Amino acid sequence: MSKEFVFRGRAWVVGDDIDTDMIYHGSYLPLTDPKEMAKHALEYLPGMEDFTEKVQPGDILVAGKNFGCGSSREHAVITLQYNDVAAVIAESFSRIFYRNAVNLGYPILEVPGITAEVETGDELEIDANTGHILNVTKGIEVHGISLSGLEKEIMTAGGLFGYLKAEFQAEE
Amino acid sequence: MSGKTIIEKILSEHSGEDARAGDRVWADLDLAVVRDFGGPNVVLEYEKQLGDKPVWDPQKIAMTFDYQAPAKVVLVANNQRACRQFAVKHGVPHVFDVNAGVGQHVLLEHGMVLPGSLIIGTDSHMNLLGAVGSFSTGMGTTDVAAGWATGRLWFRVPETIKITFKGEYDHPASAKDLTLFLLSKIDTSKTIYKSLEFYGQPVDSLSLAGRLTLASMVTEMEGKIGFITPNQSILDWIGGRAGRNVEAVLPDQDASYWDEWEFDVSGLEPLIACPDRPDNVKPVREVAGTSVDEVFIGSCTNGRFEDLKVAAEVLQGMGGKVAPHVRLVVTPATTEVAMEAVEAGLYETFIKAGAMVTNQGCSLCTIGHHGVLAEGDVLVSTGNRNFRGKLGKGSQAYLAGPAVAAATAVKGEISLPE
Amino acid sequence: MGQTFAQKILARKAGLEEVEPGQIVTVQPDKLLTHDNTAAIAKIFREIGVERVARPEINVIVLDHVVPAATEGHATNHQQIRRFVEEQGITNFYDVGEGICHQVLPEKGHALPGYLIVGSDSHTPTHGAFGAFAAGIGRTEAASVMATGEIWLMVPHSFRVVVKGGLPKGVYSKDIVLHIIGDLGADGADYRSVEFAGPVVEEMSIASRMVLCNMAAEMGAKAGVVEPDEKTRSWLTGRTSADFQEVLADPDAAYERVIEYDVTELAPQVAQPHTVDNVVPITEVAGTRIDQAFIGTCTNGRLEDFRVAARILRGRRIAPNTRLLILPASREVLLDALAEGIIADLVTAGAVVLNPGCGPCLGAHQGVMAPGEVTLSTANRNFKGRMGCKEAEIYLASPAAVAASALTGEIADPREFL
Repeated sequence: MSKEFVFRGRAWVVGDDIDTDMIYHGSYLPLTDPKEMAKHALEYLPGMEDFTEKVQPGDILVAGKNFGCGSSREHAVITLQYNDVAAVIAESFSRIFYRNAVNLGYPILEVPGITAEVETGDELEIDANTGHILNVTKGIEVHGISLSGLEKEIMTAGGLFGYLKAEFQAEE
Repeated sequence: MSGKTIIEKILSEHSGEDARAGDRVWADLDLAVVRDFGGPNVVLEYEKQLGDKPVWDPQKIAMTFDYQAPAKVVLVANNQRACRQFAVKHGVPHVFDVNAGVGQHVLLEHGMVLPGSLIIGTDSHMNLLGAVGSFSTGMGTTDVAAGWATGRLWFRVPETIKITFKGEYDHPASAKDLTLFLLSKIDTSKTIYKSLEFYGQPVDSLSLAGRLTLASMVTEMEGKIGFITPNQSILDWIGGRAGRNVEAVLPDQDASYWDEWEFDVSGLEPLIACPDRPDNVKPVREVAGTSVDEVFIGSCTNGRFEDLKVAAEVLQGMGGKVAPHVRLVVTPATTEVAMEAVEAGLYETFIKAGAMVTNQGCSLCTIGHHGVLAEGDVLVSTGNRNFRGKLGKGSQAYLAGPAVAAATAVKGEISLPE
Repeated sequence: MGQTFAQKILARKAGLEEVEPGQIVTVQPDKLLTHDNTAAIAKIFREIGVERVARPEINVIVLDHVVPAATEGHATNHQQIRRFVEEQGITNFYDVGEGICHQVLPEKGHALPGYLIVGSDSHTPTHGAFGAFAAGIGRTEAASVMATGEIWLMVPHSFRVVVKGGLPKGVYSKDIVLHIIGDLGADGADYRSVEFAGPVVEEMSIASRMVLCNMAAEMGAKAGVVEPDEKTRSWLTGRTSADFQEVLADPDAAYERVIEYDVTELAPQVAQPHTVDNVVPITEVAGTRIDQAFIGTCTNGRLEDFRVAARILRGRRIAPNTRLLILPASREVLLDALAEGIIADLVTAGAVVLNPGCGPCLGAHQGVMAPGEVTLSTANRNFKGRMGCKEAEIYLASPAAVAASALTGEIADPREFL
């Protein structure tokens, strides 16, 4: 990976088991334009209905367990991506969300215990290459599980198509 | 080295490698499916990335329009059309349009799902096809578009948990209750991303409809796939549809399991998943009397003829009339199920009772089609998800089997079937 | 000098000996029909400052426009209406799934000869088929009827439309009325009472008479009527225990216009986009490709309509690139169609059978098209965007024509299929 996977931003903390309908509600599934999709991020998550108005580019979403459970909709990743949420770090990810994020080259990091160390508004520094997280505001360090193996390669290539195209070129 | 689990065998077979839990392999796809939700995104992504490049194999691609059948808004009508046009352009023959029904069920009925096959689709409940031993999985736009291009995708080989049931139970408890029971007992931090293999007399005695129910909620258990080994009767059925002999994929005797669990379902009683999670399971008797506004009988979990039949029988046995303040929506999973239901007089039972029978498809479950709830409404559904607000802001949903749903519709409150 | 039907009925309701066209009378309607717009009307009603509906027994409320609710907005709207109904003690309330208001009203015995019916829907004139004076009114007027139990009306001038000749095979009441509208124009009968008479009309079933009166609205008529006879009395048997007194136009009544049509040479008719009076014989548009075919609505969603459709479609499959939507106008129609095996025939032919309601007709819910698509429909309106997409096209025709066209995927002459 590269310095692209180093972030500094303001944290938004949400709870456990945030399912895909809360991240991106099913009624918006027909949308195909990412900029349109971005308008509905977290709309159905109680307390976060105005997220898209308040979020700043570079902000970081911090979640509890099982983030992104539910549907295989990639919209859930895209809506965060297009709100310029720099990364999502969570205690654990639902695998479908995890896989979609990897395929889209969207930075995620699994960090057990993270929600105990961060509050909304805290400034965080994340190095997704190493898994190292610093809560600048509170002066706490936490370590997450950085990507490795094939997932790391796909993420570094910018997503699955980036990875595949590089493969095609390598073969030629 | 030890033998292989079912998933290890399937991924080995499809990758040409010795695939073991934890490995990453590139595996060949037997079928890559899109729905009218997800499908247009895949078409757009494919064309953006690859332009006019022909798909890897048009025979191995299918489209099923079940999310909003027929279209409710111009956006979806456009999406459906975009998919049809792509199919024509690339010579994809398998387009099951708005008159076909729930995708996975349609594919199964058309003999396109074989034990041991590897199928991907833009729906997280693709994996209900594990009920016949197929490794089918839900994927996002990028995966499916890449799959259409190359015919292969990367997979992390899941570990497998062997789950064995024992014990006997009677109607009104059903496959749905067995499924809810399991959901309530397992720790999803352990089942996450696992392949589950289901064994034991209670599973073996399940019909195809019952197996589809159990397999359809593996996603809610956070599992990747749930396999039920098809018996000879089911193999014959599949073979009949596919036009060839088929065999089940069995794990090796010395397969290595991540864990093995046993569950006793003796005396299983009707259960219900309470708001707001599918694993918030309680006995029906504990929440009986809760007033409801709407009841839904259908979905990829409980939309087969058997499910509708049970519901119709309970409805009739309890007076044959839906409570005045309750809206009962019934949706057959596919055209085949609809026809069976029409011929068996089930439509008449439902309609005379005051229900609405809608056309086959995903119906209520994918919000935004119909049956949307108002704030404060309570729904009992035979579907598989009840996360807060899913079916309407400020509404609540319970999940149950068809018999409980029917009884609830009659009484106007959560009820045990009589 | 004799009085027309409109004069006689309004005179009687106003307690007068006779009235003249142009005269304003204050009358107490026998029925006030409202549907999904009841909540909006109730809102206006409350703004008037009245708390109780004046005559709750005359209110007939049918939820039919978007059923079951397709958005949170619709769900909330329905919820509000149910609350209003309960609060006001309105007993003639028909919840989602019963059917389209203009079918449910007469089925439940609320449309009787000699009745004065007003409704907050432009197709209220449908009920003239039962010998009632039935007129559409606006929401504010409807609110005022709710508040006061009465309404002022201007006595309309009357046309007498006499239909004679030998109606050819494959030509129906829909064709006759389309032809008349094409001849008179969309405002040709503006604010008139149109009396349909003559041997061809007398031969018609009640359902076919409903088609005439329903479409009278599309020539601008305030009311349409067919004189009640033995057929009317027979249809009403068992549906009501209310007393009614038939009102018949005097034989020497003075009409503003008497128009005669001989239908012996009439061909099936089609209204082309985008106005109802843009009518041509079907031969002029035969071969036009259609993406969707729709049989249903308050105009042509009855048993006789589905019978002829089933006759044409039985044992055949619809064209591969055409969607066929079937929408029975009521639960009763659906049950009858099921009993006759019609639903089975239509599903087998590839149709999507929707639950009773207004559905595709008004573009709020089912069957919305993509830009550039074409629907051939049995509805009564084809304005741009009517079915939810401004860049799509709607042609109107009879059920037989729509069924035949669904087979070929192009506008087809039903006479070739009968």
